[in-house]
Amino acid sequence: MAAIAISGLVKTYGKQNAVDNLTANIAKGRITGFLGPNGAGKSTTLRCLVGLSAPTSGTALIYDKRYRDLDNPLSQVGTVLDSRGFHPALTGKQNLRVVAAAAGIPDSRVDEVLEMVELKDAAGKRMKNYSLGMKQRLALAGAILGDPEILILDEPANGLDPAGIAWLRKFLRKLAEGGRTILVSSHQLAEMQNTVDDVLIINKGKLIASGSMKEVVGDGSLEDAFLALTGGEL
Amino acid sequence: MGALLKSEWRKLIYARAHWGLLIAGILLAGLSTAVTPVIFDNPDTGFGLSLDQTQSVDAVYANAISAYFFAIIIGIMLMSGEFRHGTAVATFLTAPKRGTVLATKLVIAAIGGMLVMVISTAAGLAGGWIALSFFPDAASPTNEVFINTMLAAVVSGAVLGIIGVALGTLVRNQMLAITGALLYLFVIDPILLALAPDTGKYLPQGLIAAMLALDIQAPEFGIDTTAYLPPLTATVVLLGYGAVFAGLAIATSLRRDIE
Repeated sequence: MAAIAISGLVKTYGKQNAVDNLTANIAKGRITGFLGPNGAGKSTTLRCLVGLSAPTSGTALIYDKRYRDLDNPLSQVGTVLDSRGFHPALTGKQNLRVVAAAAGIPDSRVDEVLEMVELKDAAGKRMKNYSLGMKQRLALAGAILGDPEILILDEPANGLDPAGIAWLRKFLRKLAEGGRTILVSSHQLAEMQNTVDDVLIINKGKLIASGSMKEVVGDGSLEDAFLALTGGEL
Repeated sequence: MGALLKSEWRKLIYARAHWGLLIAGILLAGLSTAVTPVIFDNPDTGFGLSLDQTQSVDAVYANAISAYFFAIIIGIMLMSGEFRHGTAVATFLTAPKRGTVLATKLVIAAIGGMLVMVISTAAGLAGGWIALSFFPDAASPTNEVFINTMLAAVVSGAVLGIIGVALGTLVRNQMLAITGALLYLFVIDPILLALAPDTGKYLPQGLIAAMLALDIQAPEFGIDTTAYLPPLTATVVLLGYGAVFAGLAIATSLRRDIE
């Protein structure tokens, strides 16, 4: 059984199909890169997957269930989306404690994840005073709060400096070693080539390539394959 | 739902803005009751009421409830704040059943509104008592005024908190929701009251006044509480407003995509 199964997914805004009959399976225990030019429909697909947007038609299931039907979703799926989802006037720790309480997770786990993302010293700082890199780490801390088997990450490297990207690479590898299923969208193609097992590429809402890294890329680079498949749009 | 209640409670108490509203409510209620005896004592500004009348002294204490709009603002902030700050994403990822989230918010907003009203009203009653002590000829209040005012604070705080959440769900823009609510309460409601006094008893301010069970007759100023609904009926009608708004929110706004 695929960890994530997307079948005939369509999401329409007005007359425009943001996602156009997308079908894809994400294998359990694999890291899958979800690639596409800006506006290709990656974020919309992920939002449909986690129930924030309602599909116009088709399904996006996690372990054969809609996200909203999962029992305590935070313990099964951790999500980082482009909008951070944290209150700027609350401290990092308070923000996580709000989420932890809603999922029935003990407060001690908040301290653990803050340490894992190396934000322990900034835990008492208000989120509005966090740098972009710190906000990304806090978002990742929120995603792993419930120790989920599946991680859905939308552009987690956005705005990170080289040191932040290196940290993220190590962090994702560590998470993947635990056998987690990770679906990650990113524009950092060189990073993705070194990190992911499988690749999904979409353009204008349609799936244009999928398979293992080797199948999609061959002997070349991911960037070359991506540019060839998407007509040079990056 | 217990876990969600704990989470929403944390949102209520962690945000400094909510504490600011409580402090503002205490100051407003205290100031309001402290100033009213001075106004009533002046024949030019006393609305035909004077402090040697029991109904005037009751009206001074009834002013303790004047911070009621802070309860509605707390409710609005609890919900529309989710959309303003993008925290709705984390909220609905953690608890994707939106109706349950709304129900939890209604409970917490009711508790929050009630706490703001009880604390600010108590401060207002204390302010009135201190101010009236400077007027030796002031009449004694009726026995019921304190209990009625506190009961009205509890009920109106809870109901207005609920209405605030419903409004904040319908109108996701926080500033628009708060401005709209204040505009309605302080401009549109009084105009409707003046233009159609018979319907005024069914409007929020008329219902809140009715919950106080005050007996004030000053028809020349548009005040005649004897025509208002009985306190219990007024409470039920006010709750009906909350139920209609919450129902509308579930049927419309909560079905929309979360950005």
